[in-house]
Amino acid sequence: MSYKKIVEMIPVEKREDLSDKLLNYLLKTKNEKNMSSSMAKCFLSQWQTGSFEDETGLAVLLEATATVEPEKTIEFVEQELHLVDVAKAVKEAAA
Amino acid sequence: MVKFGIEFVPKEAYWKTVYYAVQSEKRGFDNLWITDHYNNRNVYVTLAATAIYTKKIVFGPGVTNPFLVNPIVTTQSLASLDEMAPGRVVLGMGAGDKTTLASTGIEATKQLSAVVDAIAIFRAMLEGKSVTYEGNVFKVKGTRFNFKPRGQIPVYIGAQGPKMLETAGKIGDGVLINASHPKDIDYAVGQIKKGVEKAEKKMSDVDVTAYTSFSVDKKPDKAMGAASPVVAFIVAGSPNVILERHGIDLAKADKIRGALAKGDFGGAFGSVSPKMMEAFCIAGTPDMCNEKISRLLKAGITQFVVGSPVGPNVRKSIDLISEQVIPHFKE
Repeated sequence: MSYKKIVEMIPVEKREDLSDKLLNYLLKTKNEKNMSSSMAKCFLSQWQTGSFEDETGLAVLLEATATVEPEKTIEFVEQELHLVDVAKAVKEAAA
Repeated sequence: MVKFGIEFVPKEAYWKTVYYAVQSEKRGFDNLWITDHYNNRNVYVTLAATAIYTKKIVFGPGVTNPFLVNPIVTTQSLASLDEMAPGRVVLGMGAGDKTTLASTGIEATKQLSAVVDAIAIFRAMLEGKSVTYEGNVFKVKGTRFNFKPRGQIPVYIGAQGPKMLETAGKIGDGVLINASHPKDIDYAVGQIKKGVEKAEKKMSDVDVTAYTSFSVDKKPDKAMGAASPVVAFIVAGSPNVILERHGIDLAKADKIRGALAKGDFGGAFGSVSPKMMEAFCIAGTPDMCNEKISRLLKAGITQFVVGSPVGPNVRKSIDLISEQVIPHFKE
């Protein structure tokens, strides 16, 4: 499943919290080497022209964070946001 | 109206620094300064990426030095950046940190002359003509680019000592003063004025910039906690004359120096006193920071730079500054 489709599964009222948490994970990660060059460019281009709270931006952010910090991302989605199906989809997409 | 700048140390992957650069532009900062230390990511790589992802923020190295990077290469780098981001590039030039330079085997002697020479070469080469210059430290003979630079680029001089401050007033378009307290700014402005008068310029010709150590958070303890390690390093690197200006016990400063030298960071950071925090950083809630920034404005600054650590959570602190600090002075 694409990250865009995964984001569509996330209730709108939970997207701001998710975006905020994922940005913290990404900007504080020590796993910088897991961020590919193309993903870094995609992340910065999205930030330059938009935000990480709309569907497109959140999909970019979710993909980057699920790649760089998969465990933290899945744990937050499952245990804090209580979105079990979304967590499962992220796990499959990040595998 | 006062300008707001922000400083980042490119110690992490480039995309993180550029993320913060873009955020700073979106949140209303006017200037972006990237530090230049050989042990971090390269300043010009970081600035080139910044040029690509931003469109209005003014940026430059803050500061480079002529000992580690030859002035010709500095000029080439800035002229190239000026093609990428026309009119948005500035140079921050200082004498360099002697301890860091010593670790590279470079002996930084005649620091004032080196900076003066570097700036003379920088400005001459930006004219796009063949340059011959014989300074006390740097000499060039018939040096020219195979391309035409866009034109002059403003030069800010990083200064702390009396002679460098005076020189900065004399030849600089701006001065970067590493200070967070009005006492230090008062002193610096006095010295800068001397240089301005000697050059028959006006003070308004010089962008007097306080390059502060800054930390903001809704909770003051968190802001202070983030700033105390930075203050420990500032105390350790400050000459006694500056410590005495703030009434700081020299024995306590020595204790911090000793702890840092032994790698006892906990001991060093734990020895930072409230008086040291007051002297060498601006930390606290937005209201607390605004009060201190106001005092610096009264002392004569025209640009305020939010320097490391910015806050316990850099992203959230930038948002907080945008919402509760910058509007306090610009609206």
